[in-house]
Amino acid sequence: MRVLDRKLFRELWGLKAQVLAIALVLAAGLATYVMAAATLDSLQRTQRRMYREFRFPDMFSNLKRAPESVAARIAAIPGVREVETRVVAPVTMEFEGYRFPINGQIVSLPAGAPKLNLPHLHSGRLPEAHREREVLISDGFADAHKMRPGARLLVTVNGRQREVDVVGIASTPEFIYQLAPGSIVPDFATYAILWMNRKPLEAAFNMTGAFNQVAGTLDPGASLKSVLDAMNALLEPYGGLDAHGRKDQVSHRYLSEEFRQLEQMATMFPAIFLSVAAFLLNVVLSRLMATQRGQIAILKAFGYTNAAIVIHFLKLAVLIAAVGLALGIAGGAWLGSGLAGLYRDVYRFPYLDFAILPGVIGISAAYCFLCAMAGTVFAVLRAARESPAVAMQPAAPGLYRASLLERLGLERMFSQPTRMILRNIERRPLKSFLSMIGVAMSTGILITGGFWSDAVDFMVFAQLRRAQIEDLAVTFTGPVPGRALQSLTSLTGVSHAEPTRWVPSRIRFEHRSYRTALQGMTPDGSLRRLLDRDLRRVELPVEGVILTDYLATMLGAKPGDILTVELLEGNRAVRQLPLTGLVSEYVGVNAYMRLDSLNRFMREGDTVTGAFLSADMEREVGIYSRLREMPAVAGTSARMRALRAFYDTLAAQMLMFAFFNTILAATIAVGVIYNTARITLSERSRELASLRVLGYTRGEVSYILLGELALLVFIAIPVGCGIGYSLAGAMAASARTELFRVPMVVNVGTFAFAALVVLIATVVSAMVVRHRVDHFDLVEVLKARE
Amino acid sequence: MATPAPAEPIFAARGVTKVYDMGEVQVHALRGVEMDLYAGEMIVLLGPSGSGKSTLLNILGGLDRATAGHVSYCGWDITRAREKELTAYRRKHVGFVFQFYNLIPSLTAKENVAAVTEIAEKPMRPEEALELVGLGDRMNHFPAQLSGGQQQRVAIARAIAKRPSVLLCDEPTGALDSETGIVVLEAIDRVNRELGAATALITHNADIRLMANRVIHMANGLVGSVDVVENRLKPGELRW
Ligand SMILES: Nc1ncnc2c1ncn2[C@@H]1O[C@H](COP(=O)(O)OP(=O)(O)OP(=O)(O)O)[C@@H](O)[C@H]1O
Ligand SMILES: [Mg+2]
Repeated sequence: MRVLDRKLFRELWGLKAQVLAIALVLAAGLATYVMAAATLDSLQRTQRRMYREFRFPDMFSNLKRAPESVAARIAAIPGVREVETRVVAPVTMEFEGYRFPINGQIVSLPAGAPKLNLPHLHSGRLPEAHREREVLISDGFADAHKMRPGARLLVTVNGRQREVDVVGIASTPEFIYQLAPGSIVPDFATYAILWMNRKPLEAAFNMTGAFNQVAGTLDPGASLKSVLDAMNALLEPYGGLDAHGRKDQVSHRYLSEEFRQLEQMATMFPAIFLSVAAFLLNVVLSRLMATQRGQIAILKAFGYTNAAIVIHFLKLAVLIAAVGLALGIAGGAWLGSGLAGLYRDVYRFPYLDFAILPGVIGISAAYCFLCAMAGTVFAVLRAARESPAVAMQPAAPGLYRASLLERLGLERMFSQPTRMILRNIERRPLKSFLSMIGVAMSTGILITGGFWSDAVDFMVFAQLRRAQIEDLAVTFTGPVPGRALQSLTSLTGVSHAEPTRWVPSRIRFEHRSYRTALQGMTPDGSLRRLLDRDLRRVELPVEGVILTDYLATMLGAKPGDILTVELLEGNRAVRQLPLTGLVSEYVGVNAYMRLDSLNRFMREGDTVTGAFLSADMEREVGIYSRLREMPAVAGTSARMRALRAFYDTLAAQMLMFAFFNTILAATIAVGVIYNTARITLSERSRELASLRVLGYTRGEVSYILLGELALLVFIAIPVGCGIGYSLAGAMAASARTELFRVPMVVNVGTFAFAALVVLIATVVSAMVVRHRVDHFDLVEVLKARE
Repeated sequence: MATPAPAEPIFAARGVTKVYDMGEVQVHALRGVEMDLYAGEMIVLLGPSGSGKSTLLNILGGLDRATAGHVSYCGWDITRAREKELTAYRRKHVGFVFQFYNLIPSLTAKENVAAVTEIAEKPMRPEEALELVGLGDRMNHFPAQLSGGQQQRVAIARAIAKRPSVLLCDEPTGALDSETGIVVLEAIDRVNRELGAATALITHNADIRLMANRVIHMANGLVGSVDVVENRLKPGELRW
């Protein structure tokens, strides 16, 4: 081995603690990248493979009811390749030993082999032809109840209860994400997908010889838009207006949204970590360069070229980077498989090919070495350019001057050691500033971790404790007369009921429009409240609509603007109505108006499609069983159950996220603080040792050294709180879609926690350095010539 | 008798000035130095602190550049040389010894020497160079495990291992006691006589002048006077 390389390894070994600290920060950045990129990659590959293997359609449409003959006309639309029709119906279910209401969809299986949305069987078999009682159930539901083929369910379709046998457990590409209408997160225990032969389902749902859903594939190169337009025109008489492509298919949309966020995770966090790592490398290498000024000069004096010297020090950076890379990839693989596992709890992929592709490793290596170079190249070049004659002389005593505070006439306030601290910070303003920013960044990252749980807590609080405070929500099979409510209030345990009505509609403003349900509400209702951002109640106008604030933004409308509201059901009336207010909601986008106005708009009498109940939940089991007996009731959901489901699903994810975030941020904090302290120590060990010789105590000397650090950290924490708040704001803004919004809420506790973690990291680093000060070998420090 | 000086100098400095621009003040370290150094010759540079000795030596060795004037090495103008050429010049021809040893602390004695022999053209083996300065038994010691005199001898071994044609020593005994100083000077003397390296040696110790062929007195950035030593002594014969 060349002598210079030997020097390199010895020096690296001497710096091992600092090298490790830097490598860990690098590794943290790479791990977040590898985790997000590998997870994204794996999920996308799995999605593509599953869409292909299980024939995910290109286009979809719901309709009221069309005779089967219409299928041939759809197939005749130019560009359409395959068409499959089916019957889909809402169901409620129950089974022995489970008391909560279960809602779901029952989907027909075609008579022959299915062409599209093929069920992937996890266990059991497909229902045999002509078997009327056999069903498949979705795997999420089966998992939640540990249900196996052979189980028996009581399902209610169209008000009629029947017993069915589970013969298989399945998943299909259209239900990777399964969200019950009106809920915030998937709840596999209370929401299920069932598949059944078409004949018996047609019969049960009064759909003999007809269909209410159609899906299809396109010829390669066909224009989706023109096919969709043709489908809408064709299906309009049958109540179909929502022909859409994959982009608007619910499960696909949620997945796409998730992918977008993963992509962001794969850029934002690594960028922060890697820039901090580059900074640390720069600080440590600049320092190393400074201590080696004489050695560099000697090497040059003996004829080593600048290039040889530059390469020598770059090797050092590359070695550190290599350690970071190895740790980062290993860490990222571990985190990634954990994250992918969490995703599988929510997104029901039938399988997941988790792999870290060479591309991800290649990009990580490139990032890593770029960062190492960015951190070192300038320091190295500067050192190499120095004239050897200048470098040979002992470094001139640094230029110090009275610090700003002292010049302001405050010097009498400071002791001699305090003046040393202030002057030292002021003499190296850039370095001090960057160290401060490094610590602030870790504070910021900690805050973003806390922000997610704060936001979710707030969301749950606002949505489920302030806005939706009914105990039970009941949906009817369709529009029913308002007096149906009386049969609900008459149930034992139910004290109060408020009606509601959903009408599918299209809301237009200028050239923009959006399809959503227009919801009629009683203006003085107490169980569902429309609240603004500050949780204040928004009044329902006699004439006019209220929109979710995000929907108004999408439409570009503001209160006072006149919207065009087109009903897509019943009389299909179109009216101009003013937008009178905005509500703040976090899941989905909605439009509201007074129930009586809506009914007038529809030219119908007192009609409702659902009700919110206030009930004595001690008696819920009795209430459920009475509700099941009511043919008009299509489904029931319990608010507390939704709340629990929400936390069950998200708590694990959020805990993991917060945990890793804390570890990563603490890594940065320790990396920056420890390196800063070590470098100050090595730069000033002679000075400090001299002070010790002059009779300063260890404590006093440590104060000079660590006081500087403490001052930087105390400035960094508030700055970091600002950075964290802005990062959280940026994350919230980028997560804002019509599917869900994250409220911008950061609790005081989150700030306090971030500050605490940074302080602990500071104290630990300070203790390590203090230990070194305490064990100063005075003779050695003073003898050594740098 | 003095060694007869060969006709051609290997170094010729003409009107060399060096100005350090410190912003508000300009420091004139050299103000027009004229001097020669002949092949195989040993000269001693004497002069008060700040008179420009180190500056001159650094310019001769290609470590630093003159502000004006010319220095030729075997007819080649090193004041006009490019950085690359200076590096090659130092690599092939020059050996330096500094007052503060300047060893690389993370390398052993042998490795410190090897750091130079690895890039030289026809070097000695590091062991050979260390034996020449009487350190054959300390090859694997790190600088921190050596005394000051031993460190300085490692530095000399490092300077001579490439068989330089010029040996430049800036106060090599400045930090040493007289006995150790003599050991170090003997090593330099030997290299000068046995390898024939033209040697320039800066010192504050006037007694040392007696081991040189010529003595150049510097004052205020100028060469004051040049004495020829009639009876060149061996370092062992010096007394101070
Ligand atoms: N890098 C520098 N910047 C500014 N001035 C310098 C620099 N190096 C040397 N000088 C100045 O140049 C003058 C000559 O310095 P030089 O080091 O050559 O003196 P010297 O004769 O070697 O002194 P000593 O015997 O003390 O080593 C001095 O006045 C010194 O202050
Ligand atoms: Mg000098």
